[in-house]
Amino acid sequence: MTEQPTLTINGDPRQPRSWFVGIHKLPPDVIGSLVACPESDRLLQAMLRVRVIGPGVPEGAADDLPDVAGRYYILEDGVRFIPRFPFEPGVRFRATFEPRQIGLPQCRESLACEFSIPREIRGPRARVKQVFPTSDALPENLLRFYACFSEPMQRGWAEKHIMLLDAAGRPVPDVLYRPPLELWDRSMTCLTILLDPGRLKRGVGPNRALGPPLEEGRQYTLAIDSGMLDMSGRPLRTSFRKTFHVLAAVREGIAVEQWSIRLPRPKSRESLDLGFPRPMDWALLWHTVSVASEGGQPIEGHISIDQCERRWSFTPKSFWSPGSYCFCVESSLEDVCGNSLLGPFDRPLRSTGGRGCKTARWSRPLLIA
Amino acid sequence: MKDRFVSVASRREVLRFGAISSLGLALSGRVLSGSDTAVAKAVGAVLPQASSPLHSAGALTFGADNVLFVADISGAAIHAFALRASDITPQTGIELGNFHNFEGRDLVLGLDYKLAALLGTTVDNIVVNDMIVHQPSQQIFISAERGRGTDVVPAIVKLNHGNLEVLDLESIPHSQVALPNEPDKKATLEFEPQQRYAITDLKYYNGEIFVTGISNQRFASTLHRIPYPFNGRMGTSSVEIWHPVHGEFETRAPIVRQLIREVRGEPYLFAVYGCTPLVRFPIASLKDGAHVRGDTIGELGYGSNPLDMMTFTDPFEHKEYLLVTIDVRSASRIGISDLESAQAEPTGGPIDFGPGGLGRTQRDLPIRAEHMAILNPRWAVVIWRHPRTSYRLDLGTIMIPYFFDRRFGMSEMNWPNGPDPFEYRKHRNEIDHS
Repeated sequence: MTEQPTLTINGDPRQPRSWFVGIHKLPPDVIGSLVACPESDRLLQAMLRVRVIGPGVPEGAADDLPDVAGRYYILEDGVRFIPRFPFEPGVRFRATFEPRQIGLPQCRESLACEFSIPREIRGPRARVKQVFPTSDALPENLLRFYACFSEPMQRGWAEKHIMLLDAAGRPVPDVLYRPPLELWDRSMTCLTILLDPGRLKRGVGPNRALGPPLEEGRQYTLAIDSGMLDMSGRPLRTSFRKTFHVLAAVREGIAVEQWSIRLPRPKSRESLDLGFPRPMDWALLWHTVSVASEGGQPIEGHISIDQCERRWSFTPKSFWSPGSYCFCVESSLEDVCGNSLLGPFDRPLRSTGGRGCKTARWSRPLLIA
Repeated sequence: MKDRFVSVASRREVLRFGAISSLGLALSGRVLSGSDTAVAKAVGAVLPQASSPLHSAGALTFGADNVLFVADISGAAIHAFALRASDITPQTGIELGNFHNFEGRDLVLGLDYKLAALLGTTVDNIVVNDMIVHQPSQQIFISAERGRGTDVVPAIVKLNHGNLEVLDLESIPHSQVALPNEPDKKATLEFEPQQRYAITDLKYYNGEIFVTGISNQRFASTLHRIPYPFNGRMGTSSVEIWHPVHGEFETRAPIVRQLIREVRGEPYLFAVYGCTPLVRFPIASLKDGAHVRGDTIGELGYGSNPLDMMTFTDPFEHKEYLLVTIDVRSASRIGISDLESAQAEPTGGPIDFGPGGLGRTQRDLPIRAEHMAILNPRWAVVIWRHPRTSYRLDLGTIMIPYFFDRRFGMSEMNWPNGPDPFEYRKHRNEIDHS
């Protein structure tokens, strides 16, 4: 008795990218004709098809949709379909084998197999770890928030699930900027939320028509709804609220001369602390301020930021050798309003151009002795 | 018995002997006659995996010699794929609609559903990022992504006579250039969270690509100018604009869309920003390290974001126009001759909060496309949500220069005995929409 063809789904559960669909026990003459056929691609695509059937695909609709893109390989006793992109865990697929397409007389029945690759759900559900700036009193011309999540998140949900509420808990419209792309960091755990720059810049249309996004003296709440989804498609463990009241706008550049400096003792691993009269941008502080030896060589160490982003501390890996150092500040450092070392975010027009974008770093000598 | 590799056809790839022989083809998916579902389980297998150089697929543009440039935000790179003749299928001869009757044609109904099926996912997990037309062949290319997290699967998909086909990127001659993304010095310190440069647009002009974007940490606008073929060189300028409505303040902001054109023999980069100034930069001024102030020549209206920027020629009056599509407002049409003659809005003058400059003479056009490109002198292609089928994305044509589809209107002219000022009835049966 002739062996009947079989349809299988194969792969390694530990490697979600490894799965494929196979047809086995095809007679040698069929394999031979497939190899010889100049249009074998078309034949193979008609013979072995893989389609998405759910979730969310209405009954019957799958027939009107394209097959899953993939490649066909002819083996000695069968054919293998490898998806162009790995089968997505959690999606339901149907593989069908139509023997009539290749004229198999002994096998009249088509074969079908429905399958899904198990979705691996790891770890706890995500939560909002922290929102920066951390202070509950923020200037009227605040430029941005950073929302930090405990797990990698999905993009595409921020506009729907992040909003600013007034003191009565009502959403305040047109306050948060809708960037052309959601501004996540590469790990998809930190989202930048800009307030509408058009409303921040005095004299611009939205500012004239709608006023600044925040108003001094009022109270607001940044609300992050649990509908934000993590990588596994799970909502947040809980919604997040950050309530703050609004102080006067800050419209002046960062003056490094006004920073306080606490020097460590030599031969210790005490931290070098910089104190700022007003909060700096949390994300930029991590990589725009550094400590170097007198010769300009960066010193290895650990940064910490606290006191509502008003203190930057640097703890070296090795003991401080007595001697000269400097701390360096990149011109790209901004405070929470976008004011930088070069001037205010929103400033009078200079009479002529001439500023380079690679502006020199600001640096100040330190003596640890 | 070991399997043996027996055939290689042009669209099938070699499954290497060693890989096959190491497989233990354990069978596990149940063969079903009905609709019940088996969760597949099997033993280890070593398989050839397609390794696309892309980490993500964003803005697209074509350069000379069929080179397709792809912006890759996650990979912090611009990729150049030198498409071969076999990668492009001429689409000339496709029925695009009834031009005389202002009737476009659906080319793909449910584009997002079909992309989802093709890429092996569900529609909520599909993002369409850009669409571009390869002008010589009139073939449409789309950049799309499966997934929304760190596991994004990028794809470039082309439309071939109504069918979507995935471009085999790994087989196409490829080069790439890295964009400055992470702080590259002081590696001894800790850098969290990472800086990321979200590329908003890229364009090719005369052997160079121009890349605009927005950082998650720096609001200032940075523009990269990169020669192609890539040679490791890159010019970076920061750009700022005078906002005519400012009166006495200047602004920094990210460029959202750009377009390069020659004006009286000199090339200029025209940029639109969020909220929505139109700005002109001489290409010659975009030198490495320069801080450049553009001339604001139009204020197109606030409270909106630009979606696409293109030029077209009116087939009736043969006049050339700039077209900017905008998310929550009508599209804006501005004469190219006006772009050429427009004076920069005076700086330091009285406050004028718009619309200003060319924004005052712009023509609003009824376009609500999420993505749009010019296909040929008579037709544009759009990816849009039809009002009656807003749950899905469709891809279709709309006629130039009115960008209006009469099929979706409800006017007296559509009734059998209504007026017929445009002689619709004369051309009614010229195409078959079925």
